Amino acid sequence: MLSVRQIQKIFNQGTINEKSALSSLSLELAAGDFVTVIGSNGAGKSTLLNSVAGDFPVDRGQIFIEGEEITYLPQHKRAAWIGRVFQDPMQGTAASMTIEENLVMALRRGSRRRLRRAITHKEREYFRAELCKLGLGLEGRLTNKVSLLSGGQRQALTLLMATLREPKLLLLDEHTAALDPKTAAKVLDLTCQVAEDQRLTTLMITHNLDQALGMGNRTIMMHEGRIILDLQERERANMTIPGLLEMFEKAGGANMLTDRMILV
Amino acid sequence: MSWQVLSGTLEQGLMYAIMVLGVYLSFRVLDYADLSVDGSFTLGAATAATLIYAGFNPWLATGLASLGGLAAGAFTGLLHTKFKITPLLSGILTMTALYSVNLRVMGRPNIPLLRMRTVFTDFAQVPWVGSYSVLLLSFISVTVLGILLYLFLETEIGVALRATGDNEHMIRSQGVNTDAMKILGLSLSNGLVAFSGSYVAQNQEFADVSMGIGMIIAGLASVIIGEVLIGTRSVGRTVVAVIAGGIIYRFIISIVLQLGLAPTDLKLVTALIVITALVSPAVKKKLFLPAFRK
Ligand SMILES: Nc1ncnc2c1ncn2[C@@H]1O[C@H](COP(=O)(O)OP(=O)(O)OP(=O)(O)O)[C@@H](O)[C@H]1O
Ligand SMILES: [Mg+2]
Repeated sequence: MLSVRQIQKIFNQGTINEKSALSSLSLELAAGDFVTVIGSNGAGKSTLLNSVAGDFPVDRGQIFIEGEEITYLPQHKRAAWIGRVFQDPMQGTAASMTIEENLVMALRRGSRRRLRRAITHKEREYFRAELCKLGLGLEGRLTNKVSLLSGGQRQALTLLMATLREPKLLLLDEHTAALDPKTAAKVLDLTCQVAEDQRLTTLMITHNLDQALGMGNRTIMMHEGRIILDLQERERANMTIPGLLEMFEKAGGANMLTDRMILV
Repeated sequence: MSWQVLSGTLEQGLMYAIMVLGVYLSFRVLDYADLSVDGSFTLGAATAATLIYAGFNPWLATGLASLGGLAAGAFTGLLHTKFKITPLLSGILTMTALYSVNLRVMGRPNIPLLRMRTVFTDFAQVPWVGSYSVLLLSFISVTVLGILLYLFLETEIGVALRATGDNEHMIRSQGVNTDAMKILGLSLSNGLVAFSGSYVAQNQEFADVSMGIGMIIAGLASVIIGEVLIGTRSVGRTVVAVIAGGIIYRFIISIVLQLGLAPTDLKLVTALIVITALVSPAVKKKLFLPAFRK
């Protein structure tokens, strides 16, 4: 499904701020894989997701989705395959526009936008039904501006937008980190639900080791721009949080507990 | 204020309001501080005047003038998106280049259109119109363009354009080519501005190479006045607001002139209006003005 081959990304190459964020990283995802990504701050997790999404070009290596090479495609062309939710609730929606306008932008992801009325009765009905599934009461607020929503509501809306057009690949970058625990749980619930319903191939970055092992079917750990651990099936089922911390220290040498890791 | 001054101000307000629609599109919708406006306003006037002077059909001349504005806006957009020049500098570059272009187009600093055939003399031939020609044609034009702009902003492309001004990263991740959106928006914006310039030249019966100076600030003042007085709750309301703002701005200018201020002081007055608006806490609270503060 997704194939990342030996990609390398160095920021500010040739300056004193040079920073190697990804070094010769490879990753293969099968269709329907739900992979959680962990690693310390600056390990390159976000850079990996952003490289796949095309926020910037990689320096070396190739990226394929369903066998099609996307390495050189600009971000807006890759969007046809990819749904995204960011850490910052502000990033995924247009605040000055209404809920329905935001949704219609997502509804046209991957298709040509035309000079026809963006929102008609038909779209409105569809949006209402989809918003109902979130269970946040947003179905009655289609024409409210998104700036009126709470962070959690915005994140749920962004998740709906990312999955409205069944993406081939869902990229989640700590998408619940900025929410209070209760809202975070709700958004995570919605995430599991939609990933299951649509059998989405998903990459989810998290700092919560419990989520990392509890959600999805595979966990990778990153350190200094590399994947240092790839847990699947049996090995993953038997893994515990202390075990994970130990493996991290063995492989990376650093102490993960000093980091932003959340244990429970 | 005499009836004559009153109707003259209203006429001007209506035709300048078309320029204000353009400024609204770049500054507010796209959140792009585009200074090409000063040049493209003159470009519209210069093109229309030159063509009319040469005997062209004035309607055709107005159309071609607007196309010139479209091209100027596209040029600014290309400088910004393809060559990564900042919005401000891209606009200033276009504006500066247009000064020479406008002189080339006209071949001299000004062109008189006294007693020439214009869109307004043509329209005056329509039954019942007569001496209301300028007023009616300007009113019809700004209304039609305002409605078209509103309808456009509600289309799929229009929604993508607005999102480009609101959250570029987000709309790109929804598959929109934001570079294309900016070029499109700046083109339409400067097309409207040039259209307005061509009307103003035909109404005052001359074009002058310096007539666009300070136009951007007049446009900003109008947008702010309209948005503060009428509001921005919806796109439709905002379009009405900026048109009204353009008309109200002309009345303020007219009153200031009646009070005895020299016409040469007008730019200072306009700048003061904008400065007052930008530093006033009430305005700051009501309007979110990122493009004005970059
Ligand atoms: N746009 C950028 N310009 C320069 N350096 C960058 C940029 N983005 C990331 N980096 C650097 O690349 C490295 C990897 O960053 P990245 O954001 O991928 O880490 P991360 O694993 O997501 O960390 P966190 O858990 O803190 O989100 C860091 O050292 C970071 O400072
Ligand atoms: Mg990160």
